[in-house]
Amino acid sequence: MSYRPTIAITMGDPAGIGPEVIVKALADPILRHRARYIIYGMNELLAYAADLAEFDVFWWRDQSNGRLRSYPHDVVVVDYDQYSVLGSAIRAPSRIGGQASMRFCLDAIEAANLNIVDAVVTAPIAKESWKLAGYGYPGHTELFADRTNSRRFAMMFAGGPLKVVLATVHVPLNSLWGRLNIGAVFTPIELLHRALVDWFDIPAPHIAVAGLNPHASENGQFGDEEERIITPAIMMAREQGINVTGPYPPDTVFLQARDGRFDAVVAMYHDQGLIPVKLLAFDQAVNLTIGLPIIRTSPDHGTAFDLVGRNKANPGSMRAAIDMAINLAIKRRLRQNASAGASRPR
Amino acid sequence: MSENLPIIGISMGDPAGVGPEIIAKALGRPRVREICRPVVVGSADVMRAAGMIVGARLAVREIPSVDQATFAHDAMEVIPADPIPMAQVQIGKVSAAAGRAAFEAVRKVIELAMRRQIDATVTVPIHKEALALAGCPYPGHTEIFGELTGARDVAMMLAANGLRVVHVSTHVSLREACDRVTADRVYKTIELAHDACRELGIQQPKIGVAGLNPHASDGGLFGDEERVHIIPAVERARQQGMNVSGPFPPDTFFAMAIGGAWDVCVAMYHDQGHIPVKIKGFRFDATKGAWSSINGINVSLGLPIIRTSVDHGTAFDQAGHGTASDESLVEAIDYAARMARHRRNR
Repeated sequence: MSYRPTIAITMGDPAGIGPEVIVKALADPILRHRARYIIYGMNELLAYAADLAEFDVFWWRDQSNGRLRSYPHDVVVVDYDQYSVLGSAIRAPSRIGGQASMRFCLDAIEAANLNIVDAVVTAPIAKESWKLAGYGYPGHTELFADRTNSRRFAMMFAGGPLKVVLATVHVPLNSLWGRLNIGAVFTPIELLHRALVDWFDIPAPHIAVAGLNPHASENGQFGDEEERIITPAIMMAREQGINVTGPYPPDTVFLQARDGRFDAVVAMYHDQGLIPVKLLAFDQAVNLTIGLPIIRTSPDHGTAFDLVGRNKANPGSMRAAIDMAINLAIKRRLRQNASAGASRPR
Repeated sequence: MSENLPIIGISMGDPAGVGPEIIAKALGRPRVREICRPVVVGSADVMRAAGMIVGARLAVREIPSVDQATFAHDAMEVIPADPIPMAQVQIGKVSAAAGRAAFEAVRKVIELAMRRQIDATVTVPIHKEALALAGCPYPGHTEIFGELTGARDVAMMLAANGLRVVHVSTHVSLREACDRVTADRVYKTIELAHDACRELGIQQPKIGVAGLNPHASDGGLFGDEERVHIIPAVERARQQGMNVSGPFPPDTFFAMAIGGAWDVCVAMYHDQGHIPVKIKGFRFDATKGAWSSINGINVSLGLPIIRTSVDHGTAFDQAGHGTASDESLVEAIDYAARMARHRRNR
């Protein structure tokens, strides 16, 4: 039998659909067979979600006492019941919700840094809640990068036939010009190349880079960012031996990746990359942070406050995120074993 | 019977591109002859060559004016604009001569429509650089039509396989596109989308409006164009009795649209709308390195005349081989014919 990793799952915003998609995803016996799980969250909300979905509780509960530890059980909920004043009737961002979801993340990251868990899967948080709780992080990605001292990282989406990395993320469209520079385009190309080789078993990947402007500016007719920023970044990556081409007209590059012309695409901004991801892999896309020393995946949807308590949330994306975390954790273990074997004196 | 069919003028496009070839293919289809009476505007010599490339069994006849047309099913009747001889055309190459011929064909077809000698116009690809070399002051069809018909508020509707999208701006840099998102422009685009659907026979169209920023700015976290411009425009349109909702987060908006949520979508910029439409309508054959299917058309809105067109480019690399698909052109002719019938019946 192959390695059975331990996966941390953070419950996300207590008022969101996190508890529901976690319970529904882990109700799958195959997923439970492949890994052990430590859920950093709140027992009462998970139990309530299980009740609505008509599942028996399948986990052990351990009261959170500030000390992180491993467990011999298949599924354990580390219960932060100090946040339980919330209750599931509130379907909106809140300060306490922000405090809770931040605590879950911080402890899961710590557990990963300590090698108690092999990977972290995060359920959606509400940025508004974090803001109310006084945290300035725009999202999980930046928090994880900060807490693992990673300065070069990128947000990747994988789903169905498409793999996409974003050069910029949560930026107002009209403020892209302060963010998009050669480094911001070069870094995701390089990280994506490594991720495709290391994590996705594509030994010689072909990466496409999208332009920023309509028709990739058609030789400078509508904007100059292609010439000034994107092409130089591509040249830099090519000098490092990476097979990367572009910039391509944004409106056709993603569908060409879908149809097999490229292995993955670097998108210049959030919706350029996510419109195709959501169209081609709705409810099954996974958000993966690349460039971190730890493995972190998450579903690609938000808290969906309007769906809470109705037992209608689709766990497909959460299941895919857990599945990918397991696969990556096994791959990393195999690599570690191989390098340990190689360095062992004969 | 066939005297009731709308007369549709098709401009031949850039003679060095695939335009003439796809016209020669489409006019050989019985389905096209069942819905309209077509005439080609351009150069008979170019159309004769195109007919030979695609193996069309159509006799090319030059006619001096529309009233001389017989609309015989086995003929391609051409009204001369700039009757460029094929000897001056280098297939697959940008040239001033080809640009001029393309521009003159467009100018002539507009003139025929303005004089009500034809009921609708359909255009095939022209090349922006060729137009520029020929000294034409307009970057594309949209601008030529806007100028020569004296229209003020024009927009473009893109349609493929049931998805219809109208854009607030098209061929401008992304930076300029952001600046064009004003309450007034957004409102006018909604109105044009509404009127276009009515021309297609949808009595009370449902209109969805996308946001500009990631997550439609998530309550102002990433940008304020939603609050300042888009929401007021949506409210104004609603007060005018239109069935309109939004702004929605752009990434999930189009997935919902494909599910049938709206009759027409309003996109804030070129790629926001073009990415989903082309994902829906285009297929790429990676083994052959060529497009295997190209579906999608443009409808110009806000003009005094009807104009539809194919959504792909001149495809110089494919020109001369007779392999370009006329699928999209047939659909463009179908839309033009439907709109012409509807206008006449009002």
